[in-house]
Amino acid sequence: MPRVPALAETETARLVRSAQTGDREAFAELYQRFARMVHGVVLARIARTEVDDVVQDVFATALERLGSLREPAAFGGWLAAIARHRALDRGRRTTPTEALADHMAATRGGDPVEALAVLDAIRSLPEAYSETLVLRLVEGMTGAEIAERTGLTPASVRVNLHRGMKLLREKLT
Amino acid sequence: MSDYLWDKRGEADPEIERLERTLQAFAQAEPPPPLDLRARPRIQRVPRRRAVLLLAASVALVAGGLSLVLVVRRPEPGWPVTTAQGRSTLPVGQWFETGAGDRARVEVADIGTITVEPGARLRLLSTRAGHHRMEFARGTMHATIWAPPNQFFVETPSTLAVDLGCAYTLTVNEDGGGLLTVLVGWVGFTTGDRESFIPAGFAAVTRPGIGPGTPYSERTSEAYRQALARLDFNPGGADVERALSLVLDESEERDEVTLWHLLTRVPDADRGRVFDRLASFVPPPTGVTRDGIQAGDRRMLDAWWDSLGLGTTSLWRTWSQQWKDNSYRR
Repeated sequence: MPRVPALAETETARLVRSAQTGDREAFAELYQRFARMVHGVVLARIARTEVDDVVQDVFATALERLGSLREPAAFGGWLAAIARHRALDRGRRTTPTEALADHMAATRGGDPVEALAVLDAIRSLPEAYSETLVLRLVEGMTGAEIAERTGLTPASVRVNLHRGMKLLREKLT
Repeated sequence: MSDYLWDKRGEADPEIERLERTLQAFAQAEPPPPLDLRARPRIQRVPRRRAVLLLAASVALVAGGLSLVLVVRRPEPGWPVTTAQGRSTLPVGQWFETGAGDRARVEVADIGTITVEPGARLRLLSTRAGHHRMEFARGTMHATIWAPPNQFFVETPSTLAVDLGCAYTLTVNEDGGGLLTVLVGWVGFTTGDRESFIPAGFAAVTRPGIGPGTPYSERTSEAYRQALARLDFNPGGADVERALSLVLDESEERDEVTLWHLLTRVPDADRGRVFDRLASFVPPPTGVTRDGIQAGDRRMLDAWWDSLGLGTTSLWRTWSQQWKDNSYRR
């Protein structure tokens, strides 16, 4: 299956190379492009109230370690790995008590109780499925975008979406 | 799969639309909040102005007729270690042990950290850009590595653990056997031609003289794990047939990784049974046949792995070849 976002990958690699030379605007552009992916990867693992702080931490770590990234085109997969590790670290330190319903009720619309139940159901799925489903259903990314941003192949994302959705439907019925 | 789930095009799936509406409050804000790096470490660069001043100073010293030998002292290669007693550096070649009540935190160059539990013994074998290698003789360690795959290697008495971008816990017993549990990402566990590919949520046992066992989900029963151990480490035993039946009967969809590994580990005569069980969860992709799998066709095995959605074998094969090439290059 062809990789749809070849052009975007090239642009990402260019931005990474610029950022590695100290170009802060290039890094800011990378943040704009990848923030949603990192947010989704982290949200799939820890309480909503912790997510924004961890996202900031992920990009700070990425900036600190960017010089060790030898293959700029691998930035997405590398960043996703940092996000998973940081979420794991935070999950170890904090109890995922979700005072989330209150937080959500004060923010945007929807039924916070149902939303929490659905998110919990997604999080209970195997990791590969839960992460992909959060990126698709919460962050609104398409399958091609998920593949390009995370470094997974489109075929893997397609399988994860299909099988994850099947398991999620079973859990919610 | 509906096109709508893949790319939001085509006829909308009402249930997916409803889930999207329900979950939208959790999404990242658009645009994302400003990135605040004020208190964060920065990429270290040599300031051009300072470099010019250093060059000018050197030229002046030479012009002044001074005979000057500049000795640039590079830090000894090693990993920083923090214990309750303080900080130190573990140099290449030196053993490090934790006492009965001690823990230690080891910085793996700039690519990750290891937390070492009490009673552990380890040695740094080599550390350089892109390649970091240690020996873990006994005890328990928790590794978190954020480097790209294939940069961090841990030798144990019975196998080699290759980090593929992950967090994991490794325990090595006094007899050299051990257990590896993966929390995030993947780990490759390899001894000679025997290799196990362990994703998050899975674990694998290793035994001296044999190498890594078949990965299993942490949700499997103790009986399931014992049956796998018989298949892996006592394949000539009398109760192997019963062990395989138990594994096949108890396997669920989540156990596809286990079944895929078993395709190459059970006797030829039993591969068909494993094929049928795996096919009941993950239909073999086009071109993958029962006869081919029974014959051990590597291309078909790889194609089936790719259809599991855990990453492509092309990456795995590349990394695998790289670490075999580098196995004794320290």
